[in-house]
Amino acid sequence: MSEQLPSPDFDTQNYARPNQNWICGHACEGNACRQGPDAKGRCRVTAECKPILQINPGETKGRWRCTRPGGECESGPLPDGSCCRPVAKCSPVPTLRVWRGRATLVVIAASCAMLLILLGNPPWRNQFISPGEISRTHSGAAFAALAATNHLNQNCGACHVAGNSGPHGMVKAAWRAEPGFFAFHKFLAAPAGEVTAIDESCEQCHVAHNFHHPNAAAISCSFCHAEHQGKMMAATTDANCNFCHGDTAKMAAAHVGNNFTPVIHHFADDHPQFRFITEHLHDPDTLKFNHALHLTGATIPNLPGGAKLDCAFCHSPDVAGAFMKPVNFEDNCRVCHSLQFDPATPQLALPHGSAEYVSAFLRSLPKQYADLATKENQTDENGFVQQKLAALRAQFGSGEELERRVFFSTATLGPETQIGTLSGGTRALFPGCALCHEVKNSSSGSPEITKPVMPERWLAQAKFNHAKHASIACAQCHDAVHSRDTADILLPAKETCATCHSPRGGVVDTCATCHTFHNALVVAR
Amino acid sequence: MKRFRRQFFLGMFALITATVGALWLHVKFSQALPDYAFLTGWILFAAMLGLTFFNARKKLPFLSLGRAETWLQIHIYLGFFTVALFLIHLNFRGPHGWFEVTLAWLFALVSASGVVGLVFSRTLPRRLAARGGEAIFEKIPVLRHALKTEAENLALGADAKSPVIAEFYTKRLAAFFAGPKNLWLHFVESRRPLNALAAELDDLRRFANDAEREKIAKLATLVRQKDGLDYHRSLQLALKLWLFVHIPLTYGLLVFTALHVVLVFGFSGGAR
Repeated sequence: MSEQLPSPDFDTQNYARPNQNWICGHACEGNACRQGPDAKGRCRVTAECKPILQINPGETKGRWRCTRPGGECESGPLPDGSCCRPVAKCSPVPTLRVWRGRATLVVIAASCAMLLILLGNPPWRNQFISPGEISRTHSGAAFAALAATNHLNQNCGACHVAGNSGPHGMVKAAWRAEPGFFAFHKFLAAPAGEVTAIDESCEQCHVAHNFHHPNAAAISCSFCHAEHQGKMMAATTDANCNFCHGDTAKMAAAHVGNNFTPVIHHFADDHPQFRFITEHLHDPDTLKFNHALHLTGATIPNLPGGAKLDCAFCHSPDVAGAFMKPVNFEDNCRVCHSLQFDPATPQLALPHGSAEYVSAFLRSLPKQYADLATKENQTDENGFVQQKLAALRAQFGSGEELERRVFFSTATLGPETQIGTLSGGTRALFPGCALCHEVKNSSSGSPEITKPVMPERWLAQAKFNHAKHASIACAQCHDAVHSRDTADILLPAKETCATCHSPRGGVVDTCATCHTFHNALVVAR
Repeated sequence: MKRFRRQFFLGMFALITATVGALWLHVKFSQALPDYAFLTGWILFAAMLGLTFFNARKKLPFLSLGRAETWLQIHIYLGFFTVALFLIHLNFRGPHGWFEVTLAWLFALVSASGVVGLVFSRTLPRRLAARGGEAIFEKIPVLRHALKTEAENLALGADAKSPVIAEFYTKRLAAFFAGPKNLWLHFVESRRPLNALAAELDDLRRFANDAEREKIAKLATLVRQKDGLDYHRSLQLALKLWLFVHIPLTYGLLVFTALHVVLVFGFSGGAR
C-alpha cells in the first residue's frame, strides 16, 4: 500500500475541462484536439489551419497564407482559401456527467410515465394509491350492495371525492381541500375531532351522527374509526373516549340533569360505581323468587337425576354464549312446581301462562276428568268422574273455593302440602299461583296475574360476554346465595369487575371492552 | 484537520440538537394536532428540496452563495436530519400500500446511497493518496494510451529484438495495457493481479540477457504504473458512480413526493 507509484506525466497546459459535457473522440488515443467538441457534442475540427488572406500593398486579390501551428505546410492553402490538410473528424464521447443527466431524465420520465399509466387506469389506480387495506365493513360484496342501494361509487369514490376521478380530479380536489396546501396556521389551530367534508360520505350510509348523548359534541367519524388499517378497523382506544370523558370542560358542557358522568380516565381509577348500586335500584319484577332458598334451602328436593339444584339448571347460556337465556316455567320450574292440584290425580296439572286458561280449566274439570278416564281406558267413565269431583268437594267444599285457593293461596302448610310428584318428604308444593305471582282480582271479579317482567340485561349501555367469564364461578360475581328477595339486583359492583379488569388484574380494561359509543346499530338508508 | 474537526463537532451538535428538538415536538404535538402529519410532511418536503438545491448550487458557481464545502456540510447533516424527519412523519411506523411503500423505498435508497457516497468520499481519497500517484479521471484514457504506446515500443518496437519479451507482451501484457482492468479487485484492495504479473516478469528475467533484463525492468515499471492507473480509475469511478443512484433517484423521489402531496390533500378529510 505504501508503494509510491510514479505518476504518469500529462500535459498540464492541456486542461481536461471535466465540467464539459463532451470530450474529444481521440482523447482515449492520447491525441485529443485542443479545440474539443461543441456544447452539443459535435466535433469542431476542420483542418490543420485556418488560412488567412494576405493582401500586400498594390495587390487587388492578395494570397492565402497557411497558419498551421508549428510552421507552414508545404502545399499551402487551396485557391478557395481552405486548408489543404483536412483533419479526420472524431466522434465526441459524452462524459459521465452527461450519462448521469440522461439517467436522471430516464428516471424522471419513467416515474412520470409509470404514475400516469397507473393513475389513468381506475382499477390499478385504486389499488396503487390506497394507503392500506380497507376494512371488511367498507369492502366486499355486502358493502358493494349497500353502496349500490345508496347510489354510491363502490370504490374509493364511495368515501373520497377524488376517488371518482383521474389525475385531474385529484389535483382539483387537493386544491379545494380544507385546510389547503399552505394553510399552515390552520394546521396548527385545527381542533381535534373536527367534523370534515369526508363525514358527509359516512352519512350517506350511516344516518347522521348517532351519538350516545344528545349533548355530545359532533366528532368526525375518522377520529375514532381509522380506515385503511387492515381487514378490521383500528380499535377505538381510551384516548378517543378520553377526548371527551377525560375533559372536565367538555363533560360539564354535556351535563344534562342528573345524568352527569364525571371525568373518567381509567375503569379501575375514576370510573363511577354502577348506578344500580349508587341509586339503590331494585328489580321491579312482581315474581316472588328466593335465590337463597333455592340454592341452599333444606326443603329443596334433588333434581330428577339426583343432582342438586344449582345456577346452571335455570340459567343456561344462549347460542352465542354471551348472555343467559330467559328463565321460563316449562324448562326451569315445572320439574318441581308441577301445578298438580288434585293429590289423588297427579296426572292432571293446571295450565301455565294465562289466568283465563286456568279458570277455564277448573271450570271444565268434569270434562278434564272424563278425558283422563278415556285416556286411561277406565271402564266406568262417569263413575270415575263423579268420584274425583266428590273427593275435591270433600277437600275444598266448592268449585269457587278450589279456584280461589288455586289462585290466591300462599300457604305452604295444610292440605296443599300433599300436592306434588317429587320424591319423599320433600315434595314440591303447589299452594297457589300467589306463592310466586302477584294475583289480583280484576274489575270483572276474575283473578288476574301480573305478568312477570324479567329483563334480559341490566346494564344496557355495556357489553358483556358470559362465555369469556366461564372460568369464574357464578357466585364470584352474583351473590345469589344471600339473596332472598326478587328486588335484589344480583350484579357485581365495579370493584368486583376491576379485580380483573385493571392494570393490576392484568385483564383488558379499555372503555371499548364494555361500552359501545353509539346508541344503536348504524342504520342503512 | 483542526478546521475539519471543528466543523464535525459543530455539525454533529446541530444535528443532535435538531433531532432531539424534533422528537420532543413530535411527542408534544403529534397527538394534540390533528393535522400534524401535514406539518411534518411540509417540513420534510422543504428539507428534501433544500438537499436537492445542493446539486443546483454546484451548477451556479457564479452566484455568491457561500463556499461549496459549507454547502456540502449542510447537505450531509441536513440529510441525516431528513431521515429523522422522515421517521417522524411516518410516526415511526411502516408505510402502507403500494404507493407509500414505493415512496418510502425511494427515500431509503436515496438516503442509503447518500450514506454510501459519504463513506466513499471519506475513505477512497485516503486510499488513493496512500497508493500514490495522481491522475485526473478524464485524463486516465490518455495516460493509459501513453503507457500502452511506451510498452509496445519497448516490447514490439523496431529496436526491441527480443522474441521472448515480444511473445510475453503479446500473450500477457497486450490485453492488460489495452484498457482498464481488475476494477473490482482494485476496489477491494486486492494486489493479486499485479503480483501475478510481477511474478511472471520475474520468471521471465531468469531467461533474459542483460539488455532484455533492462527492458523487463522498464516493462515492470510500466505495469505498475498501469496498475496504479487502474486503481485510480476504479476508486474514482466509485466516487462518481454512487451519484448515478443518488441523483436520478432524488428526482424520482421528488416526482413521487409531489404526487404524494396531491394525494394526501385530495384524499384528506377536508377534500371537496
